[in-house]
Amino acid sequence: MKKFIIKTCVYVLLILIALELMVRALHLYTEDPPRFIDEYGVEKRVPSHTGYAVTGNRNQNFSKFHINNAGFNSFREFKPTQEKFEIALIGDSFIEGFHQDYYDSTGKKIERAMNDTVEVYEYGYAGYDLANQMHLINAYKDQFELIDEIIIYLNYQSDLERGVYEPNTQRIAMLKSTVFRIRDNIKLLAYGSKIGIVDPLKKLVTGQAFQEENSGGYETNEIVVPQHKDQEYLDNFKNLVELYGFDKCKTTILLDSRKTSESFLEYCKQNDIKYLDFAQAFEKTKKPVTLIYDHHWNNHGRDLIAQVISNYIGTISKNKKCE
Amino acid sequence: MLFNSIEFLIFLPIVFILYWFVFKNNTKIQNVFIIFASYLFYGWWDWRFLFLIFLSTLVDYFVGQKIYEHLDDRKKARYWLWASMAFNIGMLGFFKYSNFFVDSFIDMFHAFGYDIKSTWTLRIILPVGISFYTFQTMSYSFDIYYKKLKPTKDFLAFTAFVSFFPQLVAGPIERASNLLSQITNKRSFNYEQATNGLKLILWGFFKKLVIADSLAPIVDDIFANYHSYPASTLIIGVCLFSFQVYGDFSGYSDIAIGTAKLFGVELMSNFKFPNFSRNVAEYWQRWHISLSTWFRHYLYIPMGGSRVSQLRAIRNISVIFLVSGFWHGANWTFIFWGGLHALFYIPVYLMGRNRMYADNVVGEKTLLPTPIEILQVLLTFALVTFSRIFFRSPSLTDSFQFINQIVTNFSYEPYAHPMGYRMLDFYVLLGLFIFYEYLIRKHEREPFRFKSKVVRFLLYTSVILAMLLFYDDGVNRSFIYFQF
Repeated sequence: MKKFIIKTCVYVLLILIALELMVRALHLYTEDPPRFIDEYGVEKRVPSHTGYAVTGNRNQNFSKFHINNAGFNSFREFKPTQEKFEIALIGDSFIEGFHQDYYDSTGKKIERAMNDTVEVYEYGYAGYDLANQMHLINAYKDQFELIDEIIIYLNYQSDLERGVYEPNTQRIAMLKSTVFRIRDNIKLLAYGSKIGIVDPLKKLVTGQAFQEENSGGYETNEIVVPQHKDQEYLDNFKNLVELYGFDKCKTTILLDSRKTSESFLEYCKQNDIKYLDFAQAFEKTKKPVTLIYDHHWNNHGRDLIAQVISNYIGTISKNKKCE
Repeated sequence: MLFNSIEFLIFLPIVFILYWFVFKNNTKIQNVFIIFASYLFYGWWDWRFLFLIFLSTLVDYFVGQKIYEHLDDRKKARYWLWASMAFNIGMLGFFKYSNFFVDSFIDMFHAFGYDIKSTWTLRIILPVGISFYTFQTMSYSFDIYYKKLKPTKDFLAFTAFVSFFPQLVAGPIERASNLLSQITNKRSFNYEQATNGLKLILWGFFKKLVIADSLAPIVDDIFANYHSYPASTLIIGVCLFSFQVYGDFSGYSDIAIGTAKLFGVELMSNFKFPNFSRNVAEYWQRWHISLSTWFRHYLYIPMGGSRVSQLRAIRNISVIFLVSGFWHGANWTFIFWGGLHALFYIPVYLMGRNRMYADNVVGEKTLLPTPIEILQVLLTFALVTFSRIFFRSPSLTDSFQFINQIVTNFSYEPYAHPMGYRMLDFYVLLGLFIFYEYLIRKHEREPFRFKSKVVRFLLYTSVILAMLLFYDDGVNRSFIYFQF
């Protein structure tokens, strides 16, 4: 019996080591470049990191990322000037785009569509909401004054939960904690965690295993906003505009009208806040626009977004009157 | 509790340690502990149905004694045997077949132009494993009646025999002469047996999590949307279903047999690589062996088996297959599936080839199978897979429409996975699986039977890596045979 238990433990240990080596060799795990909060209170990535982001359990989505000197995943450095035409594309993980090769990002696609006459600066960061984004514009005022167009991606259902920006120091501290460091360094654990194999254990520990499970595991982005939340979201939006300012002339909100409340859209219209709706482009296409494993835009989805933005920029740069 | 759940992963080592460290000195206490663990295992799903297992245990324990008391008076003994059958089949009939009979009755009247409202149809939950444990308890009464077994006076041992958790919900359906004797006798820890158990568990998990679960979304998609797919896709769908159901059920059996080994108990083999069968008769000697054996011992042989006129033997074969089909589920599709197998089996029987491959496997003395063997295996696989259309479809109409779609839309189109995965991954996986199963085709209880420790270690690691590579948390993980 003693021999059985000892041998089993030794085998389990050796197998875990072998699996760790295999997960590393096949690069099944995803890399998450470290995050920090800079002197302006902006949460971003530690500059100059290059690596690979992986989605799915067999490397189905494998893409290279590069964190530039500004701390964002981008193929270019952000050096706005008076002479060039720059567009700032601000948003959450959809804009950060770890699910795409950084040199084939939405920004790059816009530049290509506009025959390299513009430069696109992608200020994308997973977890950004509108408060993050508007605070960022305000914090880097000097840079944004030189930028010609600002496009803010708004996911109405989740980006208007707060009306004031507070840096998320807790998250940064949590990611730096020993538990998370261990998780990040043991690639087998990072991989298992990513594909959901550790979830049953987590559920058991937190007691969720005994609760009724929700159906629709793949419908990650289909949340319905309750009506009473609309007013709260609108108030938060007004508050953010008041606190951090909103340059109506060069700022446009990129949104999906199918997932945005009518009252918010009406408010934007009444107050001359420009918005760019990509719902029609997504509705028209017959191909899927999101990845298989999560709800982020796939290459086709990014193509459509880039097309919508480049068409829009082409129109406004010709008819710009507000200056 | 499912074998492939985190709860079982915690449950098993705790039960194992308590069983061998705390209760090892007293077989009776070990048996009480087995009962406790088994009832906990079953009650995790729905504790309300524990009373059914207990009732079945109580009835057959009592009936067993009574049959034994009246062994000299066959008439009385037979009455008691009928009592056991009436109770067990009655319970099975109520929980599993009552709605089927009511619906069939209504359909029959409807065919004659009478409309009857279905007010008799009840919302009945099918207790998990009822078809398995009722058959197991009945086998006890049968064995006593046929004087192959003396009834036990140890009620606790008998309760442990009926509820032994590794095989409680989906078999193998054990005969009392094999399992009960192991439970009444003192068990001692055996290193070889326990390590073999762990290896079987690992292989069972591979078959379930990697083969069955990764094919499930493809099969579900094809069978749900068969009307919009060409023949090539439908053929892929039904072939993959053959592997899915094999991986699912044989995986379960391997985990059950492996788990039992950890507790010093040997269960019978339930699968012996049926996909390498050279005719349908051999297939039934390799597929769900415990059920086939049960029907052979308690139905086929009492009916006269093959030691009767050829016509009666054909009748017996037909009855066995129809009943076996009906055992699988309360649906005409299963009865049709059973009937189809009878049709496949009878010619083999008439040619006298039904026992031809009972003691050997494909490629018995050679490394590779002969071309004839390959053709035989492919033909058998094709026949069995064809019958699976009925096994998998929700109704007979769907089954025939599925076949009709193959015939009328006989074209090829590449099939795309419903979730967008690369299909090539699954074809490669299946190819490797078939190749590996061929390598181990003589040793269904020792899937990692290689001399080199390094090779064995690499295999363990690869199998676990495959589980990680093909894990999909969106897949329904319950076992197909739980519904039976």
